Amino acid sequence: MRRRDFLGMAGAAAALWPLRSVMAAAPAAPGDFFVLIHAAGGWDVTLWADPRNEKRGLVEPASTENMDPAALVQWKPTKLDGDVDTFTILDDGKLRMGPGIGALWDMRDRLTVINGLAMNTVSHPDGTMFSATGRHLAGGRAPASSVDVALANELGAGQLLPAVSINFPSSFVGDRLDRRAIPLRVASAATIAKSLSRSDAYLDATDRGAITAVLGEEATDLAARSTYPETYERIGAQLAAQPELTGGTLEKAFTQKALTDAYPSLPFKARFQAAGALSAAFAVEAMKRDLVRCVGFALGGLDTHNANYKQHAHVQQELFGVIAELVKLLDATPHPTLTGRKLADRTHILVVSEFCRTPQINLAGGRDHYPNNSALVISPKFKGGRSFGTTDVDQLLPADVPGFSDGPRPIAPPDLLATFLSAFAIEPRRYLRDGEVVTELLA
Amino acid sequence: MRRALAGRVVAAMLLAACTHATTIAPSAPQPLPAHGESMIDTTPKERRRMVPPEVYLRAYLTWFGGLAPLDVQAKARGKNLFDAWDDYLAALGLPDHRIDLPRAMQSNTLMLATLGRLAEALCARAAEHDLHARQKPRVVFDFDAGKIATLDDFAPRFDVLHRTFLGYPAALAPGTRVQRFFLLWQQVAAHHTKKSALTADETAWAAVCTALVQHPETELY
Repeated sequence: MRRRDFLGMAGAAAALWPLRSVMAAAPAAPGDFFVLIHAAGGWDVTLWADPRNEKRGLVEPASTENMDPAALVQWKPTKLDGDVDTFTILDDGKLRMGPGIGALWDMRDRLTVINGLAMNTVSHPDGTMFSATGRHLAGGRAPASSVDVALANELGAGQLLPAVSINFPSSFVGDRLDRRAIPLRVASAATIAKSLSRSDAYLDATDRGAITAVLGEEATDLAARSTYPETYERIGAQLAAQPELTGGTLEKAFTQKALTDAYPSLPFKARFQAAGALSAAFAVEAMKRDLVRCVGFALGGLDTHNANYKQHAHVQQELFGVIAELVKLLDATPHPTLTGRKLADRTHILVVSEFCRTPQINLAGGRDHYPNNSALVISPKFKGGRSFGTTDVDQLLPADVPGFSDGPRPIAPPDLLATFLSAFAIEPRRYLRDGEVVTELLA
Repeated sequence: MRRALAGRVVAAMLLAACTHATTIAPSAPQPLPAHGESMIDTTPKERRRMVPPEVYLRAYLTWFGGLAPLDVQAKARGKNLFDAWDDYLAALGLPDHRIDLPRAMQSNTLMLATLGRLAEALCARAAEHDLHARQKPRVVFDFDAGKIATLDDFAPRFDVLHRTFLGYPAALAPGTRVQRFFLLWQQVAAHHTKKSALTADETAWAAVCTALVQHPETELY
């Protein structure tokens, strides 16, 4: 190449560089909602995303010997050893799944599965935070903000409740974040109604309106006198939101009874995921009312080290059943601000766990922690009906995939989170130290 | 030639060594000239922040009689005023070890709403105790309710509450705070004409208390 040509190309690249930054930072269109689910306890990926039904290497598959297959709708038996059965892998030519996927198999065209996530940890708190923030714990604390906070900070500050976290591992770390993106943490969806509830035995709504008005005026006065008025202004904004919050309408909509009555199709009496079903109902109701931007919640019961492994597939079936029902509700619910659109058109679901479980069955009849993982995305922004990443056949450990700038390596949580943020035109480096965008996953 | 040059150098060195050393006469120290005065601004320049949840809770427990948490819970319950602490652990930012939920590191809107619920309950109960039943020792309303007709009647009583919750005399508050709260008191008192657990005046004092507990100066430091 001649020197003049080289300099010309370099100049053109330099001229285009700011354009790339502008494109990356372009704000997403308003109206997107996010549901972030933590499958708490560490799931057995051989029962759903990375199915194994053969004894090979370390892998000892689920079978009638170690698993109770009754009531598993997707368990189609096939011979393993003698009179011991294992399951037939669900395979439509694009996706392969185990029986734990349950009712969500019927929506397989919308699923994006990521396998072989390198976790480098077998600790619950560490794996949980790694999946939600892309960073391992430092001194027992999260060193970065979680994905829900990043999304709320970028897209949700204008909402009444930007990020609601019902046992989701949310963390708010960083000094350049809008404090409105601080996740509102509760242990149960029903707590929100209780917190917003007010008794009329002494003061009533009119009195509270008068109190809020006085406090709003005080906040305005203090802001005018302050060197840094922003804090008082935000307090004023929160006070202005109080009548809407505590006026009774939201409280009535978010009580346990109101949610169970409004969404009877969710499994509120499920054995393992009843609390998660209530969280899902809250998410739909809050999105329908355009109150939130992100709702994170946990669906648990997956930590099965002992004989309780026999029901692990049932826990998964219920877990994915809640998600399938959530998707159906999103399909049936109109978008609150976009006429003619459904909530499902603009709602993006990310499901993560802290790690997977060992390929071998332990002496207690269960599976322990293992540093591999899978994740699930259901989003119109992602290519549906496909999986990405892989594990080795003998040890169920993450295998290298090509395409990363530093050469072939396993995909890891920071890559998934970077890809998720970039799908909404959010610059991943604002929130993530590591991770590369996997464009192959994006629609 | 070389020998003559060396001799001259030696002669010059001897001459320099024999001269008197320069002496500096002592003098009285002179003050440095002033370049103008600058005032040191010691006012806080940090952005105000919400306090951690434990601080709120400790303040609440102290203000309303220095009670233990379970006593506060017992006092605030009933009439849908409050429930149990267990219902609100995460919403208040406290760790919930039943579900392995860690302590929240920041305050948030829902936390303030939850504390607001508690504040309203405790203020109403305190008004019941101090003003309605007139039980001693008084917890919050350390004054006789009396008849409030003018701002002069209201101001000294309001000052008691202001000192309790905001920590300084109401007279030093910026703006027209006393007048503003007097207006609130009048509005609430006029609004409550029906018979209830508290008289109209007592309800108005409960409202003033509730407002002060949630005042921006109380919530920020």
